[in-house]
This record gives sequence, structure tokens and C-alpha cells, in this order.
Amino acid sequence: MKYVLLVLVLSLNLFAVDAAVKIEKDVENRARIAIVDASTVQNNAFFKILQSDFKISGNFKADTTHHKGDINSNYLIPALKSKEYVLKYALSQNTGTKLLVRLLRASNGAEVFKKNYTIPSKNKTPFLAHKAVSDINKALKYPDISWINRYVIYARYTTPGKSEIVLADYTFNYKKSIIKGGLNLFPKWADKDQKSFYYSAYNGLRPILYKMNIYTGRKVKMATSEGMLVCSDVRKDEKKILLTMAPTGQTDIYELDVASKSKRRVTKFNGIDVSGKYLDDDSSIVFVSDRLGYANIFKKGLSASSVSQVVYHGRNNNAVDTHGSKIVYASRESQNTFGANTFNIYLASSKNSKTRPLTTTGTNQFPTLSVDGNVILYIKHRGNSSSVGYINLTSQQSLLFPISGRKMQSIDW
Amino acid sequence: MIKKSMITMLALSTLIMTACTQKAPDLGGEEGKNNISDSVDIANDTVTIDENKYGNENTDTVSESKYNSSSDGFQSIYFDFGDYSISSEMENHITSNTNIVNSESNTIKIEGNCDEFGTDEYNYALGLKRAKSVKDAIAAQGVSESKMVIISYGESSPTCSSPTDSCYEKNRRVDLRLVK
Repeated sequence: MKYVLLVLVLSLNLFAVDAAVKIEKDVENRARIAIVDASTVQNNAFFKILQSDFKISGNFKADTTHHKGDINSNYLIPALKSKEYVLKYALSQNTGTKLLVRLLRASNGAEVFKKNYTIPSKNKTPFLAHKAVSDINKALKYPDISWINRYVIYARYTTPGKSEIVLADYTFNYKKSIIKGGLNLFPKWADKDQKSFYYSAYNGLRPILYKMNIYTGRKVKMATSEGMLVCSDVRKDEKKILLTMAPTGQTDIYELDVASKSKRRVTKFNGIDVSGKYLDDDSSIVFVSDRLGYANIFKKGLSASSVSQVVYHGRNNNAVDTHGSKIVYASRESQNTFGANTFNIYLASSKNSKTRPLTTTGTNQFPTLSVDGNVILYIKHRGNSSSVGYINLTSQQSLLFPISGRKMQSIDW
Repeated sequence: MIKKSMITMLALSTLIMTACTQKAPDLGGEEGKNNISDSVDIANDTVTIDENKYGNENTDTVSESKYNSSSDGFQSIYFDFGDYSISSEMENHITSNTNIVNSESNTIKIEGNCDEFGTDEYNYALGLKRAKSVKDAIAAQGVSESKMVIISYGESSPTCSSPTDSCYEKNRRVDLRLVK
């Protein structure tokens, strides 16, 4: 029993789960699944991605043993009979990437799901794992986890004055630069299908907001402004976007009509108003402002003039995101002028005054809600290392994936 | 009842037989069959655009003894942590910079910068407030605002990267240069 517990503890450490999230909630409600690698050449990285996918879904409790087996046989070794499901997979990367998955019921070896995936390249292999797991999840009629199939897009600094915009899968096992060089910042997905994104090019006298198609590279100029220009949020119907811009040198929030490119000013303040995010039914916004002398979160109706404070704690609350009535924000909770500060992520609601912390240690920033509003992405800095973290609000599962190197500027997914 | 049970048994055994004689799966798969087409378009490749010809090129690290990251004779203006007001120590730099602006016909680019202790949009807005403070201070000495353009580079263009207070101070600055 001691050894079983030791193995379990070591396995959990694989993913360095955030301490604030209850990991073992509803363990008995999750389907126990074993993963059997039937590939000619075993691939441990792919196995770990499958494990992560099952874990973050909150619907499965994946066995940590990297079992080997035969893809065609329905025979299961006795040790696997204690599970509810067994996933057999065969990954082949001779020409392109092929993945065959078979989901068997552990009790009798009956095939529950089978699918064959083929893509021409090798570098997008992590997406095959995500797609297979989300398909299995769907086939078993569990709550949707299709967000694991989505691209993460982010900007990171390369050298002083230069940056790159990168596409990644949610585990950061896949990474590809989409814009290299120049100073291109603040990428934001323009549509639910992730075909295009907005970004700000700081390559001339004035920043320019572009919308670019990730498959064709075609880009359309959307707006320009003196000083700074950022697309902070895209309305659900994708017809309007919220911008932070400063046409007269004063940062305020504007709403841009995507088709006509007409703009209207939403905030008017002789200080800093940034990061506008649509709230509830898109008739109001939350935003970050220094109107109390430090960065904090405020709320206002798009057409109203009155502004109300949303957050009543923290010394610097300078990042916020929303989905429906959900509000997530980062709050600085230490007073170091320089060096490491504790930033924690909080979840609040426009419907009530309840607020709950989601992280308790380290520097946690860039909180961003998934398209379905059920999962929060954030960046955690601890010591000299950084990770991208996910908190599934529904299942209370969390994961951290290490990210190396250059400083992240902005992220969306 | 017996007839019903027999029919059920027959159906079940047919199902079991079918499962046992199932054709071995073909790992290669038929071209196009079961390929992913929904959600993320995995199969299609995305572009990579190279914009290395662009970017702020005026951010080379400068030695401490000759520290000034502005160009064309301008003096950089430095700020306190989280602040965007011009301190009395920087007023000489404003006067000196105004004299250069008055002697030049070119437009002046005023660049706001921040240290690394901020994130995302707020830091860029702070950099812009610093640039605007410098623009307003120069305009207050009689220079036309139309002769000046401001931009914020947030924390993107540090001139110093050591984890020291003096280094962070050098990054909380406004640089000025001529638009050529």
C-alpha cells in the first residue's frame, strides 16, 4: 500500500499542481482509464500528453503506467480489468503522422470507440492527442472539453525592441512562430474558429491594429492611433471589438465596429483606462483604471457614464478577463517595489459580491478564460521558472506546463 | 416468451460473432477518411511572416558612464516607480530638449518606456503617460504639439537588464529622437 501511495504521489508531481485547487475532488466520479501504447516506436512525450488531456478533462482518472500492448487484440491483462476503460493507441510518424485509437471497455474488452487520424506533418502531433481525447470524451457524453483542441496565441519578447507572435497547443509541446521580427504585440483571436487574430504592430511612428489570417497571411489594417493601440476583447458575435487607444495621447477604451471601422469612445478619464472586456450580455464592460491612484478593476455600462468599483482588495489589480458574468483578475498582494511579488488569480462575478482565490503561491498573471468560460489559463512565475497553468473551474482540476526562455508579453486562446 | 428469448439469444450470438471476426484495423487508413476537419484545422499549415526589417533599433545597451538612450542630442527623462510626473531633477533635461526641438525642423518622436514590473496593457499605458508628460512639458515652453509624436514601448525596450534598482531606474524613461 505504501508503494502504491508513493507512486501516486510521484505521479501527481509530474504536473506540479497548484496548491489552491482541490485535486482529488470527486475521484470516484471520474472514469478510471489505462493507456496502452501499441506503437512500433514508443513515444513517452505523446503518452504524457494523453495523460494530461485525460486529467484536465476532469472526467477521467488516467493510470500513470505506460503500458505496452497490441492495437488489434481485444485481450486485456488482468491488471487492467480494474479500470473502466482502456485506451489503445498506435502512433506512426514514418510519413506524416497517423494515429489509431481504440477505446475498450475494461470489463469485457468490447470496443467502445475507434478512430483513425492522419495529418501530413509531424510537428502538430500534440493536436492529435488532444483531438482523440476530446472525441473519446464526447463519445462517452461527458461535459465538453473541446477547448483542448484550440490554439494558444501569444507574443514574447526576443531582444530589446523586438518580439515574435507564436502559436502553441495548450500544453506548449507544439510551438510555431507566426510573425517573427519587428515589434508585434497583443495578439487576440478574432473569431471562434481561430482563423484570424488581431495584433498591434509597433513598427512605425504610430501603432497599427491588423487582423491577420493564420493560414494565408493576409492582413487587413483595422485602426491606427498615436501612442498605443490594443485590441482588448472581441464581442461574442465578432462584429465589435474593444480597443485601448490614445488618439489624443490619453489612453481610453473605445468600441470599434469591425465592418464599418467606426469607433465610439467608451471611457473618459484623465488617467489610465485599459483592458476593456465585455461583461454579461455585452452591454457593459469591466476595465482596469488608475482612477483611485493604483490599478484596479471597474465596471460601466457601454452607454452609461457612471463607473463602479469591482474589486476591493489588493494593491495592484492590473489584469482582468471575463466570460458572461464571470470575472477573473490578477491581484498583487505584496509590497516589494522591485523583485518578486505575489500575484494571485481571483474569480468574481457580476451577479454577486463573492470572490474566491484560485491560486495561493507565486506570481500568477495573465488570467484568461476559455471560450466556454470553464477553464482559466494563466502564467505562473516561481523562482527562475515560468509555467502556463490551467484551472478547470468545473472539475477543479489544474495543470502546469513549464515554458522556457523569453518573457511573455500577452496571451490569448 | 421462449420464442422471444431464443430470438434475443440469436441476436446476441450474431453480435458476438461479428465482434470476433472483426477486420483488423488498418493503421494507414484510407486517404481522407477520418481525417480531422472539425475544430482546430490541424492538417492545414499556418504561415510564418518575417518582419525582421522592422522594430525599434535604438535600444542598444549603453555604457553607464555615457548613459543616455535618446539620440540627436536629446536627453532621456527618468521617472520614479509607477509614476508619470516629471521630477524637478529632470527639468534641466526638458529645457535642453526644448532648445533642440526649437532648432530642428523635423518631427520629434517621444518614446515612453517602463521597467519590467508591470504586465500587459497597463504598462504600455504608463509608458504613454510618461511620454505625454514630456510632450506637455515641452509644449508648455511654446513648442507646437503638432511637431511631436508620442508612442509607448511599455517594457519592450529595456536598455539595462541587470536585476538592480539602478538598472530598473534606467528603464523607467522617456527617450527622444528626430524622425528622419
